[in-house]
Formats: sequence, C-alpha cells, structure tokens
Amino acid sequence: MIQLQNLTKIFKKPIRKEGVLGMLKTLFSAKYEEIVAVDHINAEIGDGEIVGYIGSNGAGKSTTIKMMCGILTPTEGKVLVDGIEPYKARRKVASKIGVVFGQKTQLWWDIPLIESFKVLKEIYRIDDADYRERMDFLCETLGIREFLNQAVRTLSLGQRMRADLAAAWLHNPQILFLDEPTIGLDVLVKQHIREAIKTMNAKYNTTVILTTHDMQDIEDLCSRIIIIEKGGIIYDGPLADIKHRFGDLRTLTVNPQASFDADLLNTFDGKVTYERDGDGLLVKFNADEVALEHVVDYCFHTLKTSDLKVAEITVEDVVRQILEEQEAG
Amino acid sequence: MRYIKLYFTCIKRSIITRLEYKRDTFISIFNFFVTNVASILSIWMIMESIPSLNGWTMVEMGFLYGFSMLPVALDHIFTDDLWSVAFFKVQSGEMDRMFTKPVPVLFLVIAETFQLEGLGELAVGVVMLSVCGSMLSVSWSFGAVFLLIMATLFGALMITSFKIIFAALAFKFKRSGQLLQINYNFISYTRYPLKIYPTIIRGLLTFVFPFALIISYPVEVTLFATYSPYVIAAVIVAVSCALFALSLCVWHILERKYESTGS
Repeated sequence: MIQLQNLTKIFKKPIRKEGVLGMLKTLFSAKYEEIVAVDHINAEIGDGEIVGYIGSNGAGKSTTIKMMCGILTPTEGKVLVDGIEPYKARRKVASKIGVVFGQKTQLWWDIPLIESFKVLKEIYRIDDADYRERMDFLCETLGIREFLNQAVRTLSLGQRMRADLAAAWLHNPQILFLDEPTIGLDVLVKQHIREAIKTMNAKYNTTVILTTHDMQDIEDLCSRIIIIEKGGIIYDGPLADIKHRFGDLRTLTVNPQASFDADLLNTFDGKVTYERDGDGLLVKFNADEVALEHVVDYCFHTLKTSDLKVAEITVEDVVRQILEEQEAG
Repeated sequence: MRYIKLYFTCIKRSIITRLEYKRDTFISIFNFFVTNVASILSIWMIMESIPSLNGWTMVEMGFLYGFSMLPVALDHIFTDDLWSVAFFKVQSGEMDRMFTKPVPVLFLVIAETFQLEGLGELAVGVVMLSVCGSMLSVSWSFGAVFLLIMATLFGALMITSFKIIFAALAFKFKRSGQLLQINYNFISYTRYPLKIYPTIIRGLLTFVFPFALIISYPVEVTLFATYSPYVIAAVIVAVSCALFALSLCVWHILERKYESTGS
C-alpha cells in the first residue's frame, strides 16, 4: 500500500554563474528561485491496483514517482510505502519496488543483456531457483530470449523497453513504477507490453503505477486514474467516470473544398462545434450524441472535404476539459 | 560477505564492458604509457640541466616519483567512477538507477569500474621504486617497508576520501568536476621535493590537503631517516581514517540532495 500525505516538492534553483569561479560564488550566494513541482497531494493506492498517473508535460508526474521510489526527498509531507518512507529507508523500500523510466535505461549499455540480469540477480539477492523461474516467465511473456546475448546498445527501442521491463520485474517487486513505458513505440510493441503488464499483474498481484500520454494504455490497463496538473491532483477515480463525464469525444480534421459560411454550418442542434485550423476545420462532437457517420457524411457531401482524419480524446483533452469544468463551477 | 560477492560480480561486468571496446582499451593503455613516460622525461630533462634540486639527485627524484604513483594508482584502479559522478552523472540524472537499488549508492559507484590502466601504473611505480632504490642502495629496513606499504594503502584511502567529498558536492551543485580536479592536482605537487615550495604551498600540502603526508614524508623518511617511520605511519593511518569517516558523512548527507532531472 502506498500513501501520499500532503506530499510537496519544491525545487530551489540557485541563480548560478558559469565556470569554476561562478560555482564557488554559488557556494556563498543565497539567491534562489523556487519551483513548486508537486503541491500538497494526497492519495492512497492499494495492493494489486493498476493506476494510471496522467497529466501534461511538467505537471509533476515524474517528480511524484521519484519521491515514491526514494530518489527524491519531499520538501514537505510524506510518502509511505507499506508504512516506510522510501527516502529515509531507501534500501528497504528499493527491494520492494521495480522502476522503468521509459526515457532512460536502467540497464548497462555496453554489455549483453544477460550480463545485466546477472548483476541484478546479485544486487537483489535473488536465489537460483527463483531466478530461473522468473527468467523463464519473463522470456516467454516479453519475448526477450532472442536478444539475451546482445549488447543493450544494439537493441531497438522496443526490445530495450521490454528488456527494461524484465529487469524491473526480475526481483518480483510488490510495486512497479512505469514512467512512460510505451513512449516512442509502435502499436504492436505497445500492445505486447500492455499484455505483459496485465499478465504479470494477474500472476503476482503487483501494484502498477504508470504514467503515460497514451489514452489507449490507460483504457487497456488502468481501472483507476489520477490526473495531476501544475503539481496538484485534479481528478482521482475510476476511468469509467471520466468516460461517462466526457462521453466518446471525437475530433475530425477536415479540409473543406467548398466555400462555407462559418455561422451557417450544420451544428446538429448545437451538438457539433467547429474551429478553424489554418486552412482546415476542426469538427468536435460527442459520438454518443451524434452518429459519427452523419457528421462524416456532412463533411464529405456538403463541405466537399478532400481529406478527413478522426481522432479520439487524448489525455491532454481530458485534462483541459476537467480544468475548464473546475473553473466554470 | 554479501558485498564482496556483489563487488566481484560488478567488477566482472566492468571488465566485460572494457573488452567490448578492445581498441579503446588498447588506446587508453597506450595513452597511460605516453603520459607517464612524458612526465618522467620532463623530470629527467630538468635534472639534466641542474645537477640537484634542493639537494635531491635525479635518482632520488625518481624514487619519489615512483612512490607517488603507488597510492594514486591504487585509488585509480578502484574508484575511477567518482570522476564521472562529479563531472556528469549527477547532472544528467544517470544516478537514478543507483538510487533505486537496495545497496548503498556509494558502493555502486565504486563497483561501477575497475580501471585496468591503474594496474600498469602500479607496475611502473613499483619498478621505478625498486630500480631507483637499488641505485641509491636504500636500506630496506622493516620500518621503511612497513611505512611505504601503509602509506600506499592508507594514502590511497586518503585520495579516495577527498574524491568522495568533492564528488558528493555534485549532489548539491550538479557538477563538481572542476573542484575535484583542483583538489586532485595538488597530488602532483608532491612529485617534487616539498622544500622547493613556498611555505603556503607546503602548509596546504601538509595540513589542508595532506598529500605530502602520504607521499613526501614517507619518502624523506626512507631516504634521509628524518623521522621515525612508525610515527609517520601512525599519523597517516589516523588522518586517512578520519578523512574517510568524514567523507562518508559528507556523501551520506549530500546524497539526499540529489534532484535527478526532468524526463
């Protein structure tokens, strides 16, 4: 169980001068600017949950995760992982958690993957029987056996991410932190990784905390989402609620060839909104209220669009909508 | 026991890494030879033009130079990754992965590299020491040998302690490589007789960054029997252990100031 209590992180950035001399000067100067990355957040995450932790870039997601796994020390408030504060008893908590940072590999860059696993085996004191069992399971679930003997630097991004996931799972952690595990991957690999996460969560009842910008990740994996914006939690609850609140929002990008009058477009009784986007037009509506085919039909036949793109709601849309709702009421 | 086993596993990993890049390893060993030959030659050239330096002959200088390589080499072999902590690993957020492991961060830093070049440095040092020693017909008394061994081992510990302190400053300032470099450069002053320096440098080398204690004094004791070898050995052990304890405290405190990077 993870508890966040009034968790706050403020980064103090010294106003710094360059070079050796500048560095010596910062030793004595007391000029700081403060950046509040995480601002008094509270939450509780139970065992075996898969929680999507989402928000726009710089909202404070990674900072929260780094406090939960003991890399950063909070400025105020605390994190409790099974009742222990990770930054105080870092080593104790470290053996219970696994971490994947999508942007940075945890593996040793220059050596064959299997050698990295051997080092991790010693670091986490995994006994031989467990190691073999876990390796077999991970090789099968993540399909890493084929490149076990390749140096990590020669792996493709998709392979490397699977390898990283295996490395984080090797010591059977109770909690797994995944910071953008699907970033930059193609659809098939994403699908593969999601399946693996589901299988492993079901088999070992591992708690998974996942940050992502991919709405599909969240829909496939998470029963619960926490949305953070500017360091504060703006939503914490089931994913179903969010979907219910916003419905099946779609955005069509069209490129009308026919001339039209912006005020006279068919709004389907006010259910469809239009926005200019350069030469094109953004058509936004809720597919639960207006049938998609009617709108598409209208775009092709009346507006004579030469092109049409359908987009589903994105994480950024959800965040924006929630913020707008909160400002309104 | 557990850490010894883990250390060897990590070291094996480090050596495998070096073998992945055979050419690079070869070049860096070659580079090490060129650097050392060049500095030995420069001392030799200085001694060619002046018969003695403050009463020190060429061979005595060689003895000093050879000995100064030993603690430096030992430290170089075991703790080279502290340089990358100071120069870029903290700043780039690469330390993240060490912070999520159930092992002390400093242990992982030390276990990250095993510098093969250091072994060559150690060998060159030992050869220079024995060649110059026999030319000077140094009396290898038990006291002298004991002192040189202690000065090598605990001298390396002192150098490491300073490296730990200055590398730890990176947790606060993001980069502390330049400061570490300044500190480290003081070691090379001890390759010349202490007496040629003005009082301020001598004081600095004896009391602030006491590298003279671990290099200049043991050599003077061996060559000129200036002090009791046991007293000097005791002082070296005491000062080095105190500095090491201090460095562990400094690291422990500053480690918590690590800020990682945005991702």
